[in-house]
Amino acid sequence: MEQTKPFYDFCVPYNKDDSVMRALLSELVETGYKTVAIDQSFDHSKKEAGKRGSEMFPEPHKIEHLRREFQDKLRILQRITILYVDVNVAHAMSVSQNLRKFNLIAGQPKTDAALTHCCTAFNGDLITFDPAAGSRLLVNRKAYQVAVRRGMFFEIKYAPSIADSNYRKDMIKVAQNYCTKGKSKNIIFSSGAAHEFQLRGPYDVANLAFIFGLSEDQGKNAVDRHCRQLFLKAESRRLGKTVMFVKGNGPIVFSDSSEDEQSTEDDEMKADAFEVKDETEHAIKRLKMA
Amino acid sequence: MVRIKNRYIAVQIVPYTPTQSLRLNDHSLAKILLQNVEKYHGAYGLAVIEQGFRVKYINDRTKIAIIRCLHRGQHFVSSILPLITLIGDVRAKFRTLYIGATIIQCNKFIVKHQKQFLDRVMGQLNSAKERQDLFKSVMEFDMDR
Repeated sequence: MEQTKPFYDFCVPYNKDDSVMRALLSELVETGYKTVAIDQSFDHSKKEAGKRGSEMFPEPHKIEHLRREFQDKLRILQRITILYVDVNVAHAMSVSQNLRKFNLIAGQPKTDAALTHCCTAFNGDLITFDPAAGSRLLVNRKAYQVAVRRGMFFEIKYAPSIADSNYRKDMIKVAQNYCTKGKSKNIIFSSGAAHEFQLRGPYDVANLAFIFGLSEDQGKNAVDRHCRQLFLKAESRRLGKTVMFVKGNGPIVFSDSSEDEQSTEDDEMKADAFEVKDETEHAIKRLKMA
Repeated sequence: MVRIKNRYIAVQIVPYTPTQSLRLNDHSLAKILLQNVEKYHGAYGLAVIEQGFRVKYINDRTKIAIIRCLHRGQHFVSSILPLITLIGDVRAKFRTLYIGATIIQCNKFIVKHQKQFLDRVMGQLNSAKERQDLFKSVMEFDMDR
């Protein structure tokens, strides 16, 4: 089982300027986050759906140097946010190879039809909202419950609501809608902060739950436990139906004696009993859901 | 007889640009906080927390403050702290350190927090005089104001 540590912030927008990224990440370390995801957004509706089978989605940004720099302090994941208007995106997603390189896939629907599709059939992990588009899109009760049953998570970004009072009103409206439609299940908080001044500590964010209509526990879980669940779900989507997996921890050594099988056996295999048990449970749960 | 339940919120003020002093005292900070509560929660929110609301301690050097409010109204205070970006005329944000039910617990936490801070900063200073000065200014904890 992949280890992650609380607290989580699953939306740090990517910035080309390394100094900005560094400032953001060191502020995140200081406030007590341990797992963050760097977000890159992609507008599917602008691309023409001409060539079939070709790659539509971009490669992940190169952030190896940042990973190395914050090796012990932060675990950095990568996430893509797909903006889309219709269901054509599903086909493009199923053939894409680049998508598998991202840790998390988020959908940002632009129309009502897309929102319903996002809740019921979208092959991602997270549903997010564009604060700039206002609160025209409100999820309905049926779709929300289907999404909860599928294990999708809904994201609330707090940084825009700190910056501007209109965004704040819209985000509160969206969040309160979750509260009325389904008791605010499966909600996570993330920052979406472009500047380190907009970042807040995890406990501050949990306190924001009060104005977003969540209870105290839900608020705490929104930066901690639900994010962990989301991460596990994303991992299981990437790996398929998995009972256990082996991850290399050192250089790959090719042994001479057994060249016909297991050519990519690694130096240190980490597969203790816990991993097996947990992944099995997960697989069973997935089977039940399917 | 049920006693009155209070909550003590220990916060740190983080300015946008690093500054030495904030030129804030406890009254001005309390006023700013109450104004913000009114801005976000309206007259109702203000009325719920106004009784019993007080800034018990503020250290200009380390930028740590303790806010007291009634247990019933603590949500109204703690939920607006992340939304504040302007304190007085300084761009700054609040970072909640701890929420406790007695001021003693808050005190304990802050002392611990300050010790950690000292451990980090002490290594960067050269002379023993500077270290002593820093130690004094950071660990001073003067409650009666």
